[in-house]
Amino acid sequence: MKGKDLINIGIFSAIYFVIVFIIAMLGMIPIFLPLLSVLVPIFGGIPFMLFLTRVKKFGMIWIMSVIMGVMMLLTGMSWPPLAVSVFSGLLAELVYRSGRYQSAAKAVITNGVFSLWVAANYLPLFFNAEKYWASRQNYGQDYIDTVTKLMPTWMCPVTFAAAFVCGIIGGILGMALMKKHFEKAGIA
Amino acid sequence: MAGLFTADIENRGLVLDPRTKLAVMITLVVFALGGAGSDIQAVAWATIALSGLPILLLATARQWSKAAVFGLLYAALKSAELLLVPHLSGAALSVVGVCCLIFVRLMPSLIMGAYMLSSTTVSEFIAAMHRMHVPQQITIPMSVMFRFFPTVLEEFAAINTAMKMRDIRIGGRNAGKLIEYRLVPLMVCSVNIGSELSAAALTRGLGTSVRRTNICKIGFHAQDIAVIAASAAVYILWMLGLTGVVK
Repeated sequence: MKGKDLINIGIFSAIYFVIVFIIAMLGMIPIFLPLLSVLVPIFGGIPFMLFLTRVKKFGMIWIMSVIMGVMMLLTGMSWPPLAVSVFSGLLAELVYRSGRYQSAAKAVITNGVFSLWVAANYLPLFFNAEKYWASRQNYGQDYIDTVTKLMPTWMCPVTFAAAFVCGIIGGILGMALMKKHFEKAGIA
Repeated sequence: MAGLFTADIENRGLVLDPRTKLAVMITLVVFALGGAGSDIQAVAWATIALSGLPILLLATARQWSKAAVFGLLYAALKSAELLLVPHLSGAALSVVGVCCLIFVRLMPSLIMGAYMLSSTTVSEFIAAMHRMHVPQQITIPMSVMFRFFPTVLEEFAAINTAMKMRDIRIGGRNAGKLIEYRLVPLMVCSVNIGSELSAAALTRGLGTSVRRTNICKIGFHAQDIAVIAASAAVYILWMLGLTGVVK
C-alpha cells in the first residue's frame, strides 16, 4: 500500500462518516434509533461502492473498517463497534479479495459484510441487560416489562441481519448510481 | 458539527493530553454506558459523579454554552429517571422510560466525545496516536479524514442550498430525488478535491517510509494526573465493591 492509497482511505472515510453522522443525528429521536442499522448501510453503500473501485490492494477495506470503529469510540459509542469492525472489516476484505478486487457481485456482498459494524453500536444497550435491571428493581416491574418488550434481546441478532441485508441493498443502489452517474463522469 | 476536530488553539483554557481524554472516555464507556458495578450503591453514585466530569471539562475548555446545554439536559434526564419513572405507567412509561434508558446511559460518553473532538487539534491527536504506537496505516488515513471533514461539510452545505432552490427538498415538488441529487454531486466534487489534496500531501512527504516528526508537544501535567486519578477512583471503588468492602 502506498501513500496515495492511504489518502484515498482517508477521503472516503470522511465522506462515509459524514453520512453516518447526519443519519446518527436522526437517531437522537428514539424511534429512529433502531433504523440506524437500516439507513446507514443503505446510504453509506453509495460512497462505499465508489471507494471499492479504488481498492486494489489488500488491507484498504480493513483499515477503513477499523477507522470507523475508532471513530465510534472517539464519539462515545463504546468499544464493541471497534471490536466488531476489526473482524467484519477483515471478512469484507477477504470477500472482495476473493473476487480479485473487481467482481461487482462480490462488491455488493462486501458492503453487506462491511456494514455489520453499524449494528455493533447497539451491543452496549443489550449487554449486561439482566444485571442492569437487577440494579433498577425500584423502578417497578412495569418499567422493566415495558422496556424489555420494546428492546427484546432477540433484537440484537436482528439488527446485525438488518445491517447485512440493507448493506446488500445499499450496494445494489450504489452500483446503480455508479452506472448512471460516475462512469459517465469518468471517476468510477 | 462543523467543529469536528477544529479546536480553537488560542482560547481553549485547560489543555489535557489526548491520552488522558481517551482514558476518561473508556472509563465512562465502562461505567456509564456499560453499567459495570451499577448493582453496588457506591459505584452507582460515583458513576453519576463521573458523568459530570465531561461537563466540567467542557467548562474548563471555555465552551460555556455547550457545557450549560449538556449539563442541563443530562441533569433533567437523570432526575427524570430517578424521580419520575418509578411513578409512571402505560404509554408515558414506555416513552419516557425508553428515552431515559437509552440517553442517560449514552449521554456521558457522547458529551465526552463532543469535548474530545472540540478540544483536540489534529496534530495533537496524531502525536498521541504515535506515542501509543498506532501504525502509520491508521494514522495517515485518519489525519487525512480530519483534514477533509470541513471540506465535505462545506460542499454539502452548498449543494444543499442549490438543491433547495430547485425544490428538491422534503415536502418539495421533487422530493424523490432528495438523496441522489445530494450524494452524487457531493461525491463527485469530494473525489476531485481529494485527488488534489493527495497530490498536495504527497509533495509534503506523507506516505514516505521515513519516521515523521511532529512539532506538537503533548505530555502529562498536573491536570492530567487529577483527571486520571478521578477515573481510577471509580475502578478502585468497583474493585472494593466486588470484594465486598463497600456496598
